[in-house]
Amino acid sequence: MNTGGLILVIGSLLSAVAAFVWVAIRLGSSGRQPDKTPATGLQTASDKDVEHIFNDEFREELRNRGRLHFEKVIGESAMFLQQDLRQTTFQLNDYMRGEITRTLQDEFKKYEQSITDAKQLAVDSIEKTITTIEQQREFLQRQLETQYENQKNQIIARFETEMATIINHYVLRAIGNQIDLSDQLDYILAQLEANKKAILEDITHGT
Amino acid sequence: MELKLPSGIVSQVDVARVLRELNALADFFVAAVARKSGTPMQPPRLTRLLTQLAQENHFNLLEESNRKELARMLNDVLGHAPLLHISFASEPSTKALETILVWMRGNIHPQTLLQVGLQPNIAAGCVLRTPSKVFDLSMRSYLQKQENYLVELIAGAARG
Repeated sequence: MNTGGLILVIGSLLSAVAAFVWVAIRLGSSGRQPDKTPATGLQTASDKDVEHIFNDEFREELRNRGRLHFEKVIGESAMFLQQDLRQTTFQLNDYMRGEITRTLQDEFKKYEQSITDAKQLAVDSIEKTITTIEQQREFLQRQLETQYENQKNQIIARFETEMATIINHYVLRAIGNQIDLSDQLDYILAQLEANKKAILEDITHGT
Repeated sequence: MELKLPSGIVSQVDVARVLRELNALADFFVAAVARKSGTPMQPPRLTRLLTQLAQENHFNLLEESNRKELARMLNDVLGHAPLLHISFASEPSTKALETILVWMRGNIHPQTLLQVGLQPNIAAGCVLRTPSKVFDLSMRSYLQKQENYLVELIAGAARG
């Protein structure tokens, strides 16, 4: 039921109430005007008949009927009103449910779209990060390999040098005190003979 | 004429010692001239080095002129004779040192003087230092020169 229907029901109820009030007023005003003039005997007689017909009991009966009718009309109108209100409430609920559902769906779509966009951005960012990390990893790996090779070569070179030095030192310590100078004379004289020219030159230029 | 040094005179210290001895002998003769007659005198004992030096160079130490000439020559040796430093791993025997000194005086310079040192870390051989050069004739130097060969051997053994 729409607003027009509601107004129509309320209007009919008000019309019924107005009619009932008008009937009650008419009935009340006719009972409070006694006519005591002789010229109107017939009128009086008729009034008496009327009074006789429309006595208090009859009036009470009419009131009761009117009350019942009014109550019936009121009840029916209330029932209609209740039905209309129930229908209106139902429709309003449907309307609200539809509107809310539609709004929620729109919001959910927007939210879903936002989530999708954010997800895509995150995925792009993660892919870029992964690419960068992979490049860094390759760069570091190359650096590490280079450093490893350099360090290995240095260690090997140092090992060779140190090992030779250690062996030399060991040999010198081991046999140093075991060789008598007399046994070395041939070697020393041979070495002096080999360096004779250089020694002579140095002494000649030095002295 | 150049002074001929005996093999017993090895270093400048020996020359200086002989020179001091010669001066003491000269002083003795001066004192002998100035002594009173009848005063007993004890002539200084000459060392084998000085005697040998005088004999080999035909000097008569009783004559003043000979002594002066010998002193002059010894001073000349101290000032001009080539001095070589030679180091051994251990204290050299007199015979070994004499052999080397004879070779030096026969091949390098007849008045060569040696200053002997010790370098235990050279193991064997010697290190000879002339006025401006060092001749490392030691086993240490020989082994160091052979280090590359040693490294090759080690590398070859490591490669299998």
